[in-house]
Amino acid sequence: MSPQSSSQQTRSSDRVADDDTRRANALAHLLLNGALVVLFGALFVQAGALPSSMWEPLGSGSFPRLVLAVLMVINLGIMAQEWRRYRGAPRASAGLVKRWMWRHRLALGVLALFALYIVGVPMLGFRLASLLFLTLVQLTLGVRRPRSLAIAAIIAVTFSFGIDWLFRDVFIISLPRGPFG
Amino acid sequence: MTEALFAGMDQLFTLPTMATMLLGVVAGVIASAIPGFTITMAIVLTLPLTFTMDPLQGVATMLAVYVGGYSGGLISAALLGIPGTPSSVATTFDAFPMARSGQPGRALALGIWSSFFGALVSAIVLIIAAPPLAMIAVKLGAWEYFSLIIFAMTVVASLVGKSMLKGLMTGLLGLFIATVGADPMMGVARFTFDFDLLANGFPFLVVLIGIFAVSQLLQEVEDAEQTKHGKQLIPANVAFKPLDALRETLTYPINLIRSSLVGVFIGAVPGAGGSIANLLAYDQAKRASKTPEKFGTGTPEGVIASESGNSATSGGGLIPMIALGIPGSAVDAVLMASLMVHGIGIGPRLILDHGDLVYGMFMAMLLAAFMVLVVCLFSMRFFLRVTDVPRSVIVPVVLVCCVVGAFALNNRVTDIYLLLGVGVFGYILSKLDYPLAPLVLGVILGPIAETNLRRALMTDENWTLFFTRPISLTLLILAVVSVAFAIRHRLRQRHTAKPA
Repeated sequence: MSPQSSSQQTRSSDRVADDDTRRANALAHLLLNGALVVLFGALFVQAGALPSSMWEPLGSGSFPRLVLAVLMVINLGIMAQEWRRYRGAPRASAGLVKRWMWRHRLALGVLALFALYIVGVPMLGFRLASLLFLTLVQLTLGVRRPRSLAIAAIIAVTFSFGIDWLFRDVFIISLPRGPFG
Repeated sequence: MTEALFAGMDQLFTLPTMATMLLGVVAGVIASAIPGFTITMAIVLTLPLTFTMDPLQGVATMLAVYVGGYSGGLISAALLGIPGTPSSVATTFDAFPMARSGQPGRALALGIWSSFFGALVSAIVLIIAAPPLAMIAVKLGAWEYFSLIIFAMTVVASLVGKSMLKGLMTGLLGLFIATVGADPMMGVARFTFDFDLLANGFPFLVVLIGIFAVSQLLQEVEDAEQTKHGKQLIPANVAFKPLDALRETLTYPINLIRSSLVGVFIGAVPGAGGSIANLLAYDQAKRASKTPEKFGTGTPEGVIASESGNSATSGGGLIPMIALGIPGSAVDAVLMASLMVHGIGIGPRLILDHGDLVYGMFMAMLLAAFMVLVVCLFSMRFFLRVTDVPRSVIVPVVLVCCVVGAFALNNRVTDIYLLLGVGVFGYILSKLDYPLAPLVLGVILGPIAETNLRRALMTDENWTLFFTRPISLTLLILAVVSVAFAIRHRLRQRHTAKPA
């Protein structure tokens, strides 16, 4: 389908091929799918309380219940598959979580900055929050040399103040202004 | 039809529309030439810019980005060996060796012409196939529509990713996500838990941006540590002889037409797309070639097959969208969204109610193909430089654009909180090998599936009608067959993977 799918598959195969992480991967599946089964179960019960209609045989809750029931079955199926993998995989070496965190430090760092940015947009306004976010992420991703720093500053200003101007004055869509308006 | 065609052309051939289309083509080529920046991201980021345009101008601009994007992926594939988009994977097999052997200009020019012919063939098939299919589709009842969606979901789940169970799981998760918020028939609030954040449900564009842009960009950050690019392979002077390449491209007419038709067909299958089409077209070309041993060493046949195959999916993907209201891919879903933002309902009646718009879209496809050709032929040397843009710039800039896109949709801050949640969830799913495309299609098709199921049972409570009405039954059988084929295919793969 989408162009992303094949890249996802390529990356995924690399990950799965890693023997050391196979058990951890299966465990992560068990935890995620287990949590989803519980969540879907609770929602299934909640959907039963939604009002029915005198005009139609199916009420508001019927379709979600149908979907949630199938989702629970599929998640249990995935858990059964992953349980077999978990049992059959060699025990992961010590410090795997630490190594994983270290290997993903950039992605996790960018994600943390993105979360702060999302929270910051209504508080600081789009322009200021974007300026800070663009600068910090570029620094996080390794911009160090003076020339790169100058380019990073231009990009930060262009895509914070520039986008704000474009949307406010050209498209007449006001982005969050914050206290510094 | 002629009246609608002329009305569409009248709206299309205006200065503002052609100007924004030209910008769209340039943006599409540039965006896709940057490794890691996919066509879907480019389309998603274009969407908020079209809110203030009239419907045809907006969708024509996005089509221009779409068609331009398929050509842009060629640049980094040929010169760096890194597919700008996954739909250019097969292009690296021959265009890159050709470029490394000292003929980068030939590789690029062959790719540009092949892309052009692929897009042209797909636009012609679209014009011929979509209207009659839509005429049949308007006669479908709620039973058939529900079964059609079941079929589409099973095809998507079985084609994408390595595990069908995971594909089905994310597809159904998408269907469930679509049920959050107001019920489409009675307006009853569902699963909102009195949170303002959930009161309006999950706008599917927010889901789309979160899933395809945010989680994808985080993956790019991971990859940035492992791959260094942009330093070794762009030659200072590229000998670019487009007329020689045109003659060479036309010496393989069967390859060109076959690969284009493969692209159209794959594009029309919901769930398939450019990433599959280029590989399949390449494979078919290799099987049919008199010199298959030359594939992978820089043969023009390989470049022609891959590039015409992936470009042809652009028109193919529009066939189910226009005729049936079912988006063939995430990109088509965004195109659908751009029309829905303007209050235009998508479905088989689209061509009847807005014939001028649909024929305008057809003409926009053709026009975009010509624009891409002209832009690429005249500005190739400039575009070669964009492959140098580092990820440290792309990632934060695109993330900011994602936030703008999510916010500008409804001017709601809560939508950007949802964007963060969906992005993080999508990242977790992708780390665990869950295909994300079915989720987005599920969110889009969910309300259509529910409305048709409930409407069918309101009309007649007898549920066996889903199995006794011939078209509905055929679609359900096809759904079962697609699942059975996927299971058989995977069992075979597992069997051959086992050591003897």
